[in-house]
Amino acid sequence: MTTVTPDSATLQIAASMRGGYKDYGFGDAAVRALNGINVDIARGEFTAIMGPSGSGKSTLLHTLAGLDRLTAGESSIAGQVITSLNEAQVTQVRRDNIGFVFQAFNLIPSLNGRENITLPIDIAGTKLDKDWFDEIIGILGLGDRLTHLPAELSGGQQQRVAVARALVSRPEIIFADEPSGNLDSKSGAELLGFMRRAVKEFGQTIVMVTHDPTAASYSDRILFLEDGVIVDEMREPTAERVLDRMKQMGH
Amino acid sequence: MFRLAIKNVRHNPRRLILTAIAVALGVALVSATHIFTGALSSGFNALFNDIYDSVDVIVEPDPDAEDLPLGTSALHDEDVDAVRGVDGVATAEGSLTFQMGVLLDADGGAPGGGQGGPPSLVISWSGDADLDGATLVDGAGPSAPGEAVIDVDSFESRKLAIGDTVGYASEVGVTELTITGTVKFGDNNNTQGATLLWAPIDTVRTIAAVDGFDSIQVLVADGADPNAVAEGIAPVLPDATRAITAEDKVKEQVEQFDQALTYVNIFTLVFALIALFVGAYIIVNTFRIIVTQRTRELGLLRAIGMKGSQVRNMILVEAVVIGFVAATLGILMGWVLALGLTALIEVGAGDLFGPTTIPPDALIWGYGLGMVVTLVAALQPAIHAARIAPMEALRESGTASRKPLKTRNIVGGAMGLIGAVLFVIGLVAGLPNPAVYVGLGAVLLILGATLLAAQVLVPLAYGLRGVLSRVFGIDGKLASNNIRREPRRSANTAAALMIGVTLLAIISTFTASLKSTINDAFGSSEADMYAIALSTFIPQGAVDIISETEGVEWAGREAQGVVTYDGDDQNLWIMDSDVLGGVYGDQAGDRDLSELGDGVWATPVFLGEDLAVGDEITLDGAASTQTLEITGVAGDAIGAPLVVNWPTGEELIGQLQIVQVSIAVEDGYEVADVQTAIMDALATEYPLVDVQTADQTAQFAKGIIDIFLNIITVMLAAALIIAVLGVANTLLLSVTERTREIGLLRAVGLRRSSVWRMITLESVVMALFGTVLGMILGVSIGSALVISLEDQGITGFSIPWFSLIIYTVIAIIAGIVAAIWPAFRASRLDILKAIAADG
Repeated sequence: MTTVTPDSATLQIAASMRGGYKDYGFGDAAVRALNGINVDIARGEFTAIMGPSGSGKSTLLHTLAGLDRLTAGESSIAGQVITSLNEAQVTQVRRDNIGFVFQAFNLIPSLNGRENITLPIDIAGTKLDKDWFDEIIGILGLGDRLTHLPAELSGGQQQRVAVARALVSRPEIIFADEPSGNLDSKSGAELLGFMRRAVKEFGQTIVMVTHDPTAASYSDRILFLEDGVIVDEMREPTAERVLDRMKQMGH
Repeated sequence: MFRLAIKNVRHNPRRLILTAIAVALGVALVSATHIFTGALSSGFNALFNDIYDSVDVIVEPDPDAEDLPLGTSALHDEDVDAVRGVDGVATAEGSLTFQMGVLLDADGGAPGGGQGGPPSLVISWSGDADLDGATLVDGAGPSAPGEAVIDVDSFESRKLAIGDTVGYASEVGVTELTITGTVKFGDNNNTQGATLLWAPIDTVRTIAAVDGFDSIQVLVADGADPNAVAEGIAPVLPDATRAITAEDKVKEQVEQFDQALTYVNIFTLVFALIALFVGAYIIVNTFRIIVTQRTRELGLLRAIGMKGSQVRNMILVEAVVIGFVAATLGILMGWVLALGLTALIEVGAGDLFGPTTIPPDALIWGYGLGMVVTLVAALQPAIHAARIAPMEALRESGTASRKPLKTRNIVGGAMGLIGAVLFVIGLVAGLPNPAVYVGLGAVLLILGATLLAAQVLVPLAYGLRGVLSRVFGIDGKLASNNIRREPRRSANTAAALMIGVTLLAIISTFTASLKSTINDAFGSSEADMYAIALSTFIPQGAVDIISETEGVEWAGREAQGVVTYDGDDQNLWIMDSDVLGGVYGDQAGDRDLSELGDGVWATPVFLGEDLAVGDEITLDGAASTQTLEITGVAGDAIGAPLVVNWPTGEELIGQLQIVQVSIAVEDGYEVADVQTAIMDALATEYPLVDVQTADQTAQFAKGIIDIFLNIITVMLAAALIIAVLGVANTLLLSVTERTREIGLLRAVGLRRSSVWRMITLESVVMALFGTVLGMILGVSIGSALVISLEDQGITGFSIPWFSLIIYTVIAIIAGIVAAIWPAFRASRLDILKAIAADG
């Protein structure tokens, strides 16, 4: 159980957790998914969370993002503590500060590409930044896909729309759960490349959960999780070093 | 959010079609009625205008005053003279109209059997087109007694020629009239199907058996104000008459007519509400299933930042949109229905209706009901949707939360119990307004049963598993498992059907018992035949003829009248008490009717706390006021609170209107022979009097009850169709839900026909369950009602076994039919696509 802190060069913290515990189930079937997490996520960084199945990485992502509640401990987003807020307030925080990309089922089936991208802004009722929108569309190459329904898009295109949606409101932090998990290697590489560009060019903070070493190599910093505890971290990763580290973990 | 809601609806409209149809059917019923009655109202509105169009002021008996005794007139020649002398009166003529008769066909028969239908009127002819409201078209006006002119349409439809003689049958007998010409009534001869004749005043007086006028038609001088003239006439009029402007008279008539139509609207509205209530069940189910299917989508929205309340509102907006679309559809359907109905009626009865437009009422009720019902029904699923946690978006498989049935059982049990208690209290406790308790109790009982049904379904489905597996193999096992899996949903679906069947079963039990009562009553009566007059009263002359016919032992008359007691009007029944004791038996009262004597019998309700046998009461009748001793307690079978014998009745009221005559046949004579003899004797003078044997009369009464039952069944048809649609709807949605599972079954080897059979079995089980439950509930409630009404005269208790069997068979068929489309979809699923589908 080590406390992991970023370089002194990056001062600001996008999200953090102190003493995080998460239990599921009761009695004999009880499972402790998070076993005391202390972590800070730096702004403007691409952080990856890695670990074998059952390590608790998805749970860490969900609790950090306010989608699930910690059993014990405190977490905060952009300096605001969310563990003490009620459901409606947490929803508000999510709306104003967080973007999501899931592994699958990211889009509302009845809305076309453009409407899916602007959905968070429509929900919040704020005004769309047209220039930013056009820039994102350009970068992600979605210009001719905006009027299509999700059912008419390929897997890669759907994920790109999801990323566009996450980016368009310029949230404090984007949480991505295995975003390239369902894609072939070419589309996956493309997607991860976009995400890295967003971090490097626009200063977007992204936290990504993955089990794929190649995907993890796109990040700035990897947190290794095993049995609900952060056991290691790696900076400037390469796929090989990650694979080596991974060999030491798991079943 | 509004946009999102609309997009959601447009994206997958198919799963909402059945919902929309359910709402549309209910709305169609309401709008059809409003359109129909609206057209009828405007048709008669035009008629009333036509009738009073050409005169300015009418003098007539005051409708609020007491009725005059038979045979007397309200107005006479001196009154007409007095009116002529009033300032502003240009012309005034007395007029007499008689409408209680029938114009016979060429062969002496009454068209349509004389029952109901448009009337035949004989009106006094003044020669002034404005006063008569009729212009001569062909031939000449009637001048000598026994002559008449007839309206052009009736002239044509009866194929008459000028110079022909027709018979007008009324209480005085058949009056011969010679047609001297034809007239046009109003501008277009718009008689609403009635036959109109004009004859000289003396001829009409003979037919009506009066000596004066029943109205005075007044035309005012140029420039005079009819209102002022009417006020000027009032003082010179005799008591109990009034002067009213034609304008006001038309308004009055229209108001009265519309009020009667309002009852028709309310009657249909009740059934529409029942249909919509059943529809609400479907909507709740549909939205629940849709919410479950969209769990991941809704979880995603929550993850992105949509608040629970926003999710709820989005679903509610979807509901309102569907309600709006469905209501529009329903209103149009109702319009088509009304068009068809009016066209159908006009084929038989001629021009009755005004233009069939959609009145604002229909729109208000249609949209109001449609949208409100959909909204309220979607409320619970919407609130449930608001509670979906964002985590749902991230789980691979959408697990349906299985709330235990306990809450539902407790609520259902409580409702059912309270309902049963209220129901029983309403029936036996004798509280004021018992109908409220009974109605409320029945509703709660039914609702409680609906909720408890889910609990009953679980062990039932489990028990069925054995039966179904044995008969249908694996298909049966799967089907019963499916039902058990979602008891709430299956029970709700079955409950929708249960409601309609319950109502039907109540009515069936009730009518079966009524018919049984009729059999008993007629079976035990001493009378062999009954004489009734079609559309008029029975003339005394006819009774005389009957009594004198060979083979008739006695003929007992019954008449109705009104007397005033203590300031209130009371109905009075007058009978030939010496012979009719054997007809009514002990239903007439606490002793034999022949002991009625010169006194009066009163029902317990009339006697109340204050009066008892031996007391004297003063009754004020049209002819005289009498103080009579109460000599007995009358039974409810009599039908009025007071009973007197014939002589007493004549003293009180004067000339009596005979409603019914009971006839007994002497020993040694065949009833059929005597019946023929009587009919022959009556044919020439009194063709409108009909004599039926007890059997025939019983059949006739039972026939009317059957018509009533059929009407109610048709009205309930909307609710029942919706319920069956609900079964199809639930199946369709559950098939969609189980796409992956069905794909797996097919991949593992289940044949298409087996899938079909599985779905059909589920459907039939749900349909049967709802029907059987409905029959049990309905027969119970209906029986309780019948038994409680025993002292009101419904003595025969009968369970309509035959009808129940029919309903069961229809339920099975309905289940099979409802399953066709869902089973087709399920069996045709592409296996690979199904397995890969989104849960």
